[in-house]
Amino acid sequence: MAENTIEIRNVGKRYAEHVAVRDLSLFVPRGAVYGLLGPNGAGKTTTIRMLLNIIAPDSGTINIFGQPNTDPRITNRIGYLPEERGLYRKMQVRRVLRFLAELKGVPAKVADKRIDQWLERLDLKTAEKDWGASKIDELSRGMQQKVQFIGTLLHDPDLVILDEPFSGLDPINAQALKDTIVELKERNKTVIFSTHLMDNAERLCDSVCIIARGEKVLDGSVVSVKEEHGNRSIALAVTDRSHGAVGTILNDRSLVNRVDDSNRFFEIELAPSADPQVLLRRLVEAGVGIQRFEMVQPSLHQIFLEKVGATGVEEGMTGHG
Amino acid sequence: MAKLWAIIKREYLERVRSKWFVIATMFGPIIMGALVIVPAYITAKSKSTEAIFNSTILDATTTGIGDRISLAIVGNNPKATVRPKVIVVPPSALSQAESTATRDVVERRLNGYIVLDQQTLAGERARYAGRSATSIPDMERVRSAIRQTIVAMRLEKAGVNPDSIKELTFMPLSLSSERITDKGRGGSGTVSIIFAAAIAFLLYMSIVLYGQNVLRGVLEEKTNRVAEVVVSSVPPETLLAGKVIGVGGVGLTQQVIWALTTFAMMKARAPIMEKMGLTAAPFSMPDIGWGTAVLLVVFFVLGFTFYAALYAAAGSAVNTEQEAQQVVQPLILMLVGTAVFIQPILVNPGSRMAQIMSWMPFSAPIIMPLRLSMTSVPPLEIALTLLGLVAACFGAVWVASRIYRVGLLMYGKKPTLREMARWVTYSR
Repeated sequence: MAENTIEIRNVGKRYAEHVAVRDLSLFVPRGAVYGLLGPNGAGKTTTIRMLLNIIAPDSGTINIFGQPNTDPRITNRIGYLPEERGLYRKMQVRRVLRFLAELKGVPAKVADKRIDQWLERLDLKTAEKDWGASKIDELSRGMQQKVQFIGTLLHDPDLVILDEPFSGLDPINAQALKDTIVELKERNKTVIFSTHLMDNAERLCDSVCIIARGEKVLDGSVVSVKEEHGNRSIALAVTDRSHGAVGTILNDRSLVNRVDDSNRFFEIELAPSADPQVLLRRLVEAGVGIQRFEMVQPSLHQIFLEKVGATGVEEGMTGHG
Repeated sequence: MAKLWAIIKREYLERVRSKWFVIATMFGPIIMGALVIVPAYITAKSKSTEAIFNSTILDATTTGIGDRISLAIVGNNPKATVRPKVIVVPPSALSQAESTATRDVVERRLNGYIVLDQQTLAGERARYAGRSATSIPDMERVRSAIRQTIVAMRLEKAGVNPDSIKELTFMPLSLSSERITDKGRGGSGTVSIIFAAAIAFLLYMSIVLYGQNVLRGVLEEKTNRVAEVVVSSVPPETLLAGKVIGVGGVGLTQQVIWALTTFAMMKARAPIMEKMGLTAAPFSMPDIGWGTAVLLVVFFVLGFTFYAALYAAAGSAVNTEQEAQQVVQPLILMLVGTAVFIQPILVNPGSRMAQIMSWMPFSAPIIMPLRLSMTSVPPLEIALTLLGLVAACFGAVWVASRIYRVGLLMYGKKPTLREMARWVTYSR
């Protein structure tokens, strides 16, 4: 089996009005949890649709499991959760799930057994109530989301593709999704998901790719990405935010390149030639009460801001989620 | 293939299970039954009944003819327990007797009365007044009883043997009519027109209803975003094909159920009506052979495919039902344009216009079956029409599938026809 589950080489897609994806290459190792990060409109969904062969790229090649992604046999090994979700509203939950399983080549009998297991596991089938017999539109939004997860995973795919999986999820389902991703990882499945929420990505992903305006900004394992941008970051916590010197020192461009200000906590990116010792000394000399001063690796969020910058914010970037 | 089957199965079962389908399917036979039995029941109710026997004959002829007429009215009807009572009145007291009888009728002691006078004897006029005046069979019974009796009396006067008179005058003649057309004798004339109109209308209705149904299905999948999940598992063309076949199967199922129940009802009609105490008027279905029946199905399948594919394309291109109504206008135009020709072609199925309309792929699925059930169409003409229709189907499906796969993932504003035409040339 190929070492990489997904290999995208020099892929481009242009629409009448704009370029959605430009010369994108990325590789997702088998068994990885891979994050596709970028502001809204960066080309994440287009990339995912090209991966799934829903739309065809204008140029470049895409291989999945070592096969061209146009090979119909690979679709049975992929599970997909689209960004905007919905199901046949008038259909019974069990019948919808059986249909989705059959589309992935799972025989109805096998599917039925798995459906029951999943419904029980996600509390949709309890001693009091079996929601499997209800119609979709009798379910709450949260329950419908659960049904959609089940539909994505019912055929036990080797590659799971999730487009903005966390958007619109209630906290309980978000937790269930995280647990599921971890479990898939433990079973050596490959998971790729797009998100604009850096916190989730930082905690879940082995590797990431940041794209903006249809182009790759950077990619690699989270560890290596952080190392590359590492050790120029300082985590600073102060006791008294209102101390006048704090603002003055942090605004000194010879010392500090950028600050992510969270009131009592600052994530600081040092200026290229600045010495962290100088920064610490100046703060101490000014009499600022310091709770924490630590050389850290930057957060993905920080890296994202640095790389995509203000233009990303302009285009709808929404920072911490 | 298994996936196509899964899609067909879903489209078919979800629709057949719906209340809408069950109601519509039951509605057909119920209407059919009502059309067959109710009119017969109503005519039978007004058929010559016992009521007419409970009348009075006011005999002002002074010849004693009243008694004979009373017997003639009853005839050999087994239901008659009474026979019209005869009151012999002198001509001068007739108006007095009539007022009395009228009051009796008003107060429901009497059904009605028959007045016999000199004019009756002359064979010119008799009168009836009463509650059965609107019943054509009752009046016919009274009229022929009087006629028969007067003819008999005249014959007696002429010296004919009384025994042979009854034989000579008795004739329960009924007249049945049959139509001869260009094609020759062919069942009852009106029945074959009704049948042809019913077929054309059924095809038209099914194509419109189930075409709209396909459109709504596509639109639902698009707005739900289920389409995206499905086309990540199968090519959009497969989804389109599954949908058209599944929905078409539903339409076909409904029509087969309708055809079978209609057939069964025609068979069971006489026994059922007998149970209700009615006699079934003779009624024969036009004789359509298996060949024609198969052709009808083929025309439905092709016509449905042609329109359903285009409806699906329309559904994929838009985002709301309102937009859909605008986009399908060209389709509606083709269908309604065909429907307005049904009536003139029914009147004159051999006309040049009928021929041309039955050749055009967009109207052939409706007009050709209509012609087939009314006149004989040369096999070569049928074959060429089918060929054209099949070609048109391929064209429609090809265009539709290309619009469909682009449209399914396009959200936002409604595309113009020009934009949709451009989608056909997109690679994907």
